Amino acid sequence: MAVIKHNSKLPELGAALLGAAMTLPCIMLSAQAETAPEKGTLSFKYLNYKERQQVTSNAGSSGAWTDSQSSASAYDDRVHVKATATSVLLPLNGEWSLSGTLVTDSISGASPAYHTQSLSKLQDFRRAVDTSLTRYLPNGKLALGLSHSGENDYISRAVSLLATQASDDKNTTWTAGVAIQRDVINPVNQIVASEKKRGSDWLLGVTQVVSMNDIVQLNLGHYSGRGYFSDPYKIYDERPTDREHQTFQARWNHHVAALNGTSRLAYRFYTDTWGIRSHTIDAEWVQRLGSEWRVAPQLRLYSQNAARFYVEVDPRIAPFPTSPPPNALHFSEDQRLSAFGAVTMGLKVTRQLSVDTAVDFKVEQYGQKAAWKFNGLGSQGLAPFYARSIQVGITHSF
Amino acid sequence: MSSADKNLSVQRYPFRAMGSECEVVLAVKNQAQAYALAQKAIAEVLRIEKKYSRYTSDSMVAKINQHAGLGPVACDDETWALLHYAEQLHEQTQGLFDITSGVLRHAWDFKSAVVPAAEKLDALRNKMGWYKVVLQNQSIALPDVGMEIDLGGFGKEYAADRAAQVLQAQGVSSGYVNLAGDMRFLGAKPSGEPWMIGIQDPRRQDQVVATLPMIQGGLATSGDYERFFEIDDKRYCHVLNPLTGWPVQYWRSVSVAAPAAVVAGCTSTIAMLKEKEGLAFLQATGFDFLAIDSSNQVHMR
Repeated sequence: MAVIKHNSKLPELGAALLGAAMTLPCIMLSAQAETAPEKGTLSFKYLNYKERQQVTSNAGSSGAWTDSQSSASAYDDRVHVKATATSVLLPLNGEWSLSGTLVTDSISGASPAYHTQSLSKLQDFRRAVDTSLTRYLPNGKLALGLSHSGENDYISRAVSLLATQASDDKNTTWTAGVAIQRDVINPVNQIVASEKKRGSDWLLGVTQVVSMNDIVQLNLGHYSGRGYFSDPYKIYDERPTDREHQTFQARWNHHVAALNGTSRLAYRFYTDTWGIRSHTIDAEWVQRLGSEWRVAPQLRLYSQNAARFYVEVDPRIAPFPTSPPPNALHFSEDQRLSAFGAVTMGLKVTRQLSVDTAVDFKVEQYGQKAAWKFNGLGSQGLAPFYARSIQVGITHSF
Repeated sequence: MSSADKNLSVQRYPFRAMGSECEVVLAVKNQAQAYALAQKAIAEVLRIEKKYSRYTSDSMVAKINQHAGLGPVACDDETWALLHYAEQLHEQTQGLFDITSGVLRHAWDFKSAVVPAAEKLDALRNKMGWYKVVLQNQSIALPDVGMEIDLGGFGKEYAADRAAQVLQAQGVSSGYVNLAGDMRFLGAKPSGEPWMIGIQDPRRQDQVVATLPMIQGGLATSGDYERFFEIDDKRYCHVLNPLTGWPVQYWRSVSVAAPAAVVAGCTSTIAMLKEKEGLAFLQATGFDFLAIDSSNQVHMR
């Protein structure tokens, strides 16, 4: 918890050594380093992500739209990502720190082209570089971030500014941030060329320490973007050229001293100009076992209704893709814009190896089904979708 | 927080004191003024050297040692404070930090590289022990003839703090005092950046193992590489455990950053003396440290 200022109090031994020196004539003591990170951290994470979806029964024969996927297996592995990410945070001095993340991941697999079918295999290489420069102020910090990520078909650049300010008693922290992105899309299928997308994100948040054991946070977010939002790799995909969304999020962390554990509950509401409204409920319990182990089971429930221009599957003409309604200006058959519910179950186990080193292992299982929508039936004719990811990581502070 | 001022230029004034290379580094607007300020700081270092050296016969330390077994010696306020500091360190470390252990150097001659006979060490250990020293009425009495005190354990660091104090009193807010690696900082560089201080590799003299950014406070390093000899791959260094009379083994080097140089210096010395338990000790202090053990493993905070 960030309420206790670093170094505001030295351990007894350090204080005793200092106290002894106080008796020396005119030894003025310097205040210890302010609030900049005293320790650097280096972390290394390995992610293994696999998604699978039941291919509709006729998939194997619909050669026109699928990429000779095997019809023999009930489930096909679609996208398999292995990625490594390292990040470094170095304490440069009392006031500045430079952090950098180098993400290198390779993607080999297929993204569904319409609804749950696949059109093309993707092979690309992503290299993203993020750097952020943080200025520590007496009661807050100002972080400027720049990022650039390039795939062979998608270049994204972003600049962000995040400011936090704490009250004098450190019990209330306000956060305000803005990020501006500019993307250029040049799909390999050349359906469009040099399409652009610009957007800005705004964030306002407040974190309040309510008691020794409770901390709550409220966040408001606003996004406004203009440009090419369609997916060039999907057929029948023509989306509006602007999008705005609002998010509201409330979080509550509650520490139960008797159990030496912490519950983390969160609710998020999302609404956008495409007609999507979604609810996300997160529940996590972080249990400490001794001083070394931490086990955190996690459950996330998600539900959304469909975008206004989502084209529902027409079961009469399957396996062929449903045609958009005549004269429709906007249409999409992207499953992510359909009405569905999703459940994520996860477990993260962290072992503290030493004061400075921790290893963690996280496994997550994600399932998505129309029937899991909180209310209503959800979009019909879609195969459930499952993904599991395993991440192992090591974090070292120095 | 320090404010950056690009009009200041950094001036360096090297000098020799306490048998080693020292330096005053400061940034002020006017060079002539910088020189005058540096001279005041250097004069303070030399004053402390003269007053507390055990090599000169007219120092305060020499006077106390010459009176060993003869009765109390009256102390001025500064000496009294330093002796009190030594007493508190002795107490806090259960006798591991002991300024009477200097007599052991009569047994350990690092030039001739001979491991002393046990009888010789035992004889010297009879002349040691801060617990025997009588401190009262602002006077000190060493009870036995041949007993000695030696402020080498923190004298250099104390001088660095005092010299920095002189500069600070004159308004210097950027610079540092470096007495052979024991340092006290007075504020960031004129650019607002910290002073980047390399930590010497304990086995390769021309290399650094780490760089530590410093703005305020003190930094001190103790190591097994200043004076030592080796016999059959075993290193006998000049850091001697007063309870055994033998050189410590575990650490090659311990650097500590603390609010004052004198605190950093004692903390690094105590960690060396505690050997394996030094790591837990360092962690318990809350100070930043970098310690390299005998298998060349680096421990940091």
